[in-house]
Formats: sequence, structure tokens, C-alpha cells
Amino acid sequence: MTSHRTRTIVVTGAGGVGKTTLSAAMAIVAAEEGARALVLTVDPARRLADALGVGLLGNEPVEVTDHPGLWAAMLDVTASWESVIHHYAEPDVADRLLDNPFFRAIADRFPAAQAFAASEEMAQLIESGAWDVLIVDTPPSGGGIDFFLAPRRTGDLVGGKLLLWLTGARLPARRALYRITARPMLRLADTVLGGPLLEEIAEFLLDLRTMYDGLRTRARTIERHLRRATTIVVTTSDPTPLREARRFFEELTGVEVVPELVLFNRALPTEWVTAADRPIRGVPDAELRSALKTNLRRWGAEAARQQAARREFSNRYRVDPTTVPWLPTPPATMVELGALVRHSERLVDLVRRGT
Amino acid sequence: MFDKRLLIVSGKGGVGKSAVAGAIAIEAARRGLQVLAMGLTDPVGIAGHLAAPHAGYEPLQVRPGISLVVIDRARALDEYLKLQLRVPKMAPTGQLTRALNLLVDTAPGVREIISIGKPVYEVWKDRWDLVVVDAPALGQLRSYLRAPETIAGLVPAGAVREQAASIGRTLADPAIAGLVLVTTPAELPVVETLESLHDLDADAPIEVSRIVANRVLEPLDVDRDRLAEVPDGPARAAALLHLDMVEDQRRWLARLPEGIRLPFLFGTLTPEEVAARLSEELGAER
Repeated sequence: MTSHRTRTIVVTGAGGVGKTTLSAAMAIVAAEEGARALVLTVDPARRLADALGVGLLGNEPVEVTDHPGLWAAMLDVTASWESVIHHYAEPDVADRLLDNPFFRAIADRFPAAQAFAASEEMAQLIESGAWDVLIVDTPPSGGGIDFFLAPRRTGDLVGGKLLLWLTGARLPARRALYRITARPMLRLADTVLGGPLLEEIAEFLLDLRTMYDGLRTRARTIERHLRRATTIVVTTSDPTPLREARRFFEELTGVEVVPELVLFNRALPTEWVTAADRPIRGVPDAELRSALKTNLRRWGAEAARQQAARREFSNRYRVDPTTVPWLPTPPATMVELGALVRHSERLVDLVRRGT
Repeated sequence: MFDKRLLIVSGKGGVGKSAVAGAIAIEAARRGLQVLAMGLTDPVGIAGHLAAPHAGYEPLQVRPGISLVVIDRARALDEYLKLQLRVPKMAPTGQLTRALNLLVDTAPGVREIISIGKPVYEVWKDRWDLVVVDAPALGQLRSYLRAPETIAGLVPAGAVREQAASIGRTLADPAIAGLVLVTTPAELPVVETLESLHDLDADAPIEVSRIVANRVLEPLDVDRDRLAEVPDGPARAAALLHLDMVEDQRRWLARLPEGIRLPFLFGTLTPEEVAARLSEELGAER
């Protein structure tokens, strides 16, 4: 067991706050500091993939050209689920599951399935022991919170309250299925939903059920990895992502994950808040001066709004706010990406501790 | 778009779709329409923009011409069973609902059809001129819009399938329903919007009524060259940020189809003020 050597940083938060960019940037800095660093991303923007110099990524980590020690991988949800099924199900059950329309639908569409695939990939990469630092960018579903709840939820699905209800047996045999339409409530549900739907769901769950013990144990291992990891919540100072960020402090208590850092991305300089109250010096042209002043006043108001939102959040949850500056365009080169992290000593420290 | 009966507002997370949905409701009411505003999965978003502290499953008038509903899944399932599927009254619906809740979580398309069904029933009731829906983010929207088709693929016959098919027909009717896609002029939201447009083009579950670019910056009347003579400091930095952003935004706006442009609102505004300001911008829309 070599997993203790890998320091894992899980980067989470709502969609569109810059998680993927910051995850890549942290991996770049970790590699620059001499670590073997891997970033596991979810759906990077074209510009970021180009910046990393990697085109089509998959679950298999690829070393980034010209950047020794830096590796990147991109989550492939379907491939992850296929590997989980092949690992935990008997061969004939695995084939049946992979052909099942419910399995396809669940693997392709359900946010929780994407989250589980991501956490499973994370666990495999940690267990390989091949990296010093693993940065995990998480799927945005549920504001990022689904990722942390996925192991438990998957256990629940397979553990099957629904299955129990459908079949009435704790560990039902396949033929228990045929009792379905004998139960009055189910007869009703059957008329409403259409018989084959219920039967097919039950059949699917029975197959899934054969993986129960394996998946349950796996879910516990993944949760252990998650508790050992460092969690960073990325947000902007806007109301919607902040509301999602709150959930990490209010809803994650059951899984014992406490965010170590809240990173406020796209922060305007706080000195702008009051800058417009002072005269602009060194600009003789009155018209230019006035245009600059008007502009500064608007951005100052925005900086004030951001600052107030950060304060309110930090006071409520007793976190030390760390900021990453607002850039007019997303960073497009490795140097720009690295600079984004190096702007914050706290963040560099956090990345460095793993080297 | 104000001549539709049902407008579904979606967009990438964080682009301001709830604010835009709220603004559309306000402007529609100003034109004298009876509006039902609806939060499909988010209990806070549109309610905040309409300054409604209490929103529930029963339509509640929150201001002249606007009533508000926030979908509660358990209640929606109940209504679906009782009213839409005509499950007999004597059935122990409470118990059935609880049990079916689990099923709804597992069977693809069922949860979505129950949620997307609610605004469609409200249109069928003919009580409102316009139903405005604050829908889930783009990533999930597809599974909602495709739910009728998903169900048709899983269930060969039965009440659910028939119900799903009529919901699908209402959504696909351009005389009734339209989709409003909200984005901001930046790389990820624009790329995701274009991808969605491409997908929607392929299966056409609903007509795209409008593309809304939110948080568009006004050009700054300062020549970039002249900033060379401005000493370093906040005034210069803020001007540079503004100019650079306008340039970046222009690039992404150029890739979007024609649509509505809404301004970036600086500073501290309450959700209610944001929706009110944006609704003023919709005055010229048809």
C-alpha cells in the first residue's frame, strides 16, 4: 500500500467559477516545485486543454509535453463505470448490465453517476501510488457536493430500498421478480407506469445487487480517501456560487469533510473600493481624468460588493478568505496559469506541502 | 417571445438565468399579461428576484400580474398520480407516493417528466397568459427536455407514456412554448450555449426563442494608447481591465447568434433590483 505518499487536493465548487483552470494551475505549480503532479480534470475548456498541450485526454494519465513531472487526465464517465462493473460483477452479469438501457441511462445522464465515476478514478489514482500530488477537479453537479456524497448514494442505490420494496425480500432470488404483480400496491404502480418498466427496473437492480458487497466496501474506501484529502472550495463573490459554497459547511458534516480553504476567484483589488474617492494624479487632461474616474467608480462599487460578500461568508463560516485576481481573459499559457496560483502564498504553501 | 404561453429559461450555471427569468416575468406583467413564474428545481432563485419570501406549491400572487410557484417534488408526484394519471381516489396515495419516490429516482426520465410536466399542466389549465420557468442549468436541461422521448423508449404502453407524449407535443409546439438561453459573453458559457444549440437543432424538443447575452460591458470611451501616459494605480488598472474585457466579450458575442443583450450591473444590488433593472432592458422586445 503506497497510497499514503500521494497528497490529494480536491477542488470543488459550483459550475463556472474556474475550478478546472485553478486545478490545472495548482498542478503546474506543484510540478514546478519538483513534485510528480497529476491533475484529473472534468471537461476542460478548449483553451485550457490547449494550454496544457494535451488534446484528447482520457482516464489514462498523459505526461504534459515539455513539463517534466506534470501529468493530466480527463474523466471518462462511461469508461469508469464499465471498469467498475467488470471489476465487481460476474462476467455474464456484467455483460447484461452493460447492455441494459437503465445502466446506459444512469451512466450517461445522472449527475450522481458522474460524481461516483470521478471519485472512483480519484481512488484508483491515489492507490497507484505513482504521484506525489493529485489534484482532483470535481464535476459541478449539486454545486460540487454530489462528488462527496456519491460513494454513499451509490451504496444506497445498490443496497436497494427500492429493490426491497419491489420484491419484498432482503436478498431476493431472481424468481422473486415474478411476485411483483402479486402485491396490490405494485399492481397499482404497474397499471400506472406500464408493467415492463417496473420489471425491467427490478431486473436491473437485481443485477446491480450482485455487486453490492464489492461496491459497498469500495464506497467506504473512497470515503476514507476523501477524508484524508485536502478540500478547497472555489467560488466567486457572486450570490449563486456563494449559495452553493455554503452547502459545503452546512451539508457535508455527515461525511466528515471540512474544506480547508475557500478560494474566492475573480476578485477585484480591495483598494479599488475607496480609490475613486481620491483624486487621480498625474493625468493633466480633464476629459481623460473624468472618464477614468467614472470607470473607477463603477468598478469600485463592484469591488465593494465583492468585499462585502466575502466578509459575510467568511465571518459566518469562520474561514480565512483567500483571493485569486480577476483576469480579463482566462489564462492561456502555462506561465499565466502558474502566476494565478503564485499570487496567493497560502495556495502555494498548500500545494508545496505535498512535495 | 411575449406571445408564447410558456417560456423556459436556462443557461450555464452562474450566468444569471434566474434573474433573467424574473425580469421576463416582470416585463410581461407590465404589459398586462397574467404571469405564472415557476422555479423548477431551485427553490430560491426566481423567488429572490421577485422579492417573494414565501413560495410554495400553490400559486401565490407576489405582485400585480405575477403569481409564483416553486416545485416541490413530492407534491408534484402526488399531483401527477392523482390528476394526470387518474389513479383512483381510494388508492393509498401517500404510501404509493413514498414508494414511487424511490422508483422515480431510479427510472430515467420519470423524475424529469414530473418536473417538466408541472409547467405544461399550468399551460393546459389556461389560467395564465404566460408561464415563465426558471429551469435547471444547461447540463441538466437536456434530460428534462428529452424526458418524453426517454420514457417512450422505456415504456411501450400505459398512462405514463401517453402523458409524456402529450407533454412532449406541447413543448415542441412553437406556437406555445419557447426556450430562452441565457449566457455571458465568455468562453465556457458561449461554447456550452453553442453546443446546446447544436443538440437542440438535432432533436428539436422545443423552439429556441431567444439567446440572451447577460453582463455585457459598455465600451469605455478611453483610447488604449492614452493609458500609456496614466501613472500606475487603480484608475489605470480598472481602465485596462475594462478595455480588455470589452475586447474579450466582443470576440465571444460575435460567435453567438443575434439576440438580447443585457448590461453588466456594477455594485451592490439586491436580487429584486437586478431583475427590475434587467426588465427595463426588455421593453423593446416583441
